[in-house]
Amino acid sequence: MKAFGYVAAKDVGHAVALLGEHGARAKVLAGGTDLLVELKFAAHGLKIVVDISRLAELKGISIIDEGLRIGALATHADIMRSPIIGDMFPALADAAHSIGAVQTRNLGTLGGNLITCVPSMDSGPTLMALDAQVTYADGRGHSQVPLAELFVAPRKTSLGPDGLLTAIIIPKANFAKPAAFQKFGLRKGQALALVNAAAAFWVDQDKNSFVQPRIALGAVAPTVIRAPRAEAFLEGKAITDEVMAEAGRIAATEAKPISDFRASAGYRRDLIAVLTKRALQSAYARASNKVRESVP
Amino acid sequence: MIDVTIVVNGETRRASVPPETTLLKLLRENFSLTGAKLGCDVGDCGACTVIVDGMAVNSCLMLAGQANGRSVTTIEGLATRDRLHPIQKAFEDNGALQCGFCGPGAIMATKALFDENSDPNVKDIRDALSGSLCRCTGYTKMIEAVQDAARILRAEAAAKPRQLELSK
Repeated sequence: MKAFGYVAAKDVGHAVALLGEHGARAKVLAGGTDLLVELKFAAHGLKIVVDISRLAELKGISIIDEGLRIGALATHADIMRSPIIGDMFPALADAAHSIGAVQTRNLGTLGGNLITCVPSMDSGPTLMALDAQVTYADGRGHSQVPLAELFVAPRKTSLGPDGLLTAIIIPKANFAKPAAFQKFGLRKGQALALVNAAAAFWVDQDKNSFVQPRIALGAVAPTVIRAPRAEAFLEGKAITDEVMAEAGRIAATEAKPISDFRASAGYRRDLIAVLTKRALQSAYARASNKVRESVP
Repeated sequence: MIDVTIVVNGETRRASVPPETTLLKLLRENFSLTGAKLGCDVGDCGACTVIVDGMAVNSCLMLAGQANGRSVTTIEGLATRDRLHPIQKAFEDNGALQCGFCGPGAIMATKALFDENSDPNVKDIRDALSGSLCRCTGYTKMIEAVQDAARILRAEAAAKPRQLELSK
């Protein structure tokens, strides 16, 4: 690695000030699993690495007035082990489990995964399907936006140069909303998603129909996206396998997958249809309490 | 330069290194602990796996500064003068390694698994080893070795209280 300076930030304010001072020549170190790889291949050195990995205020998973707060520094392993998440949002634990391998999940953070803004990130779809918000700090103070507004383009977020993601919040209205995550990679371990998909919806118990359905897809567009037409199709419909399969086919028409060395665009479209259907079925199974655990 | 103090295999070690130094480099070049290997250097192969504060991590993806003040266990911390660690013995008995380059990482990943789960099933074992690439064995014997080691360690743990009682 090329030489760089290193500062362990004392608190969020200190980190933001350092980022403001050094701009693009500063990088934030959270878990480091993406940053170190980037720095090893970087053509130019950095001025400084701002280490936020010890900031207690960015850690922890807890219930606050607004909802469930997941500190940006919560690791994927923390998410897998959290009793609150296991109880209310097992789909988030499944998504965390599908990332990398145990070594990367122990270091890699949720905030870091989101901030990479790569289309294939596995944390994004489930959070987006649960209408997650993100909080961040910058020179102007603290702000909160929907997660979808964080994602701008591949590897580009809406945060300014001095922006620091601080937490992810799932609103209270969505507590225990049945949800599921599906991923297809070329291997079980250490694989990027060819496509991933998440679904969440409430079930109208009288009509057995979809209420507030959400579908989010990864690796099929420049950023993680929702599938609004498929969602609109599902709203109020009686829950059947045929309806779920049709929602998958609609979702496949809403994405803009590319062909690359991992898969062709056509194959990815087929995967969207299948994974969307499976995510809906799996969320429904959870809603019906048919399964207590699902395997990513 | 940054100063780091790390407890490595129970012993406090200090070094002053450039900030871009990885934990792996610190262990190998400053502390002469060459058990953890430099393989892919990007967190895919797991040959550099060590345990930091109880967690298996890729030491190639951790800066020395991140490890400052923490406790690190490497493959050198397992065996004693008298005997191999039961995981190492089980890997040897099962022929679970051929070239052996992935061994220190795979064994430390196994150790971290056992620290959390003394009775893992095959799925747990495959999950724990999914970050350890082995190009020789095809993993089957490695998984058998981990199952053997788990049995041995559980038997040892069960025997311990009895031994204490008998020695009274």
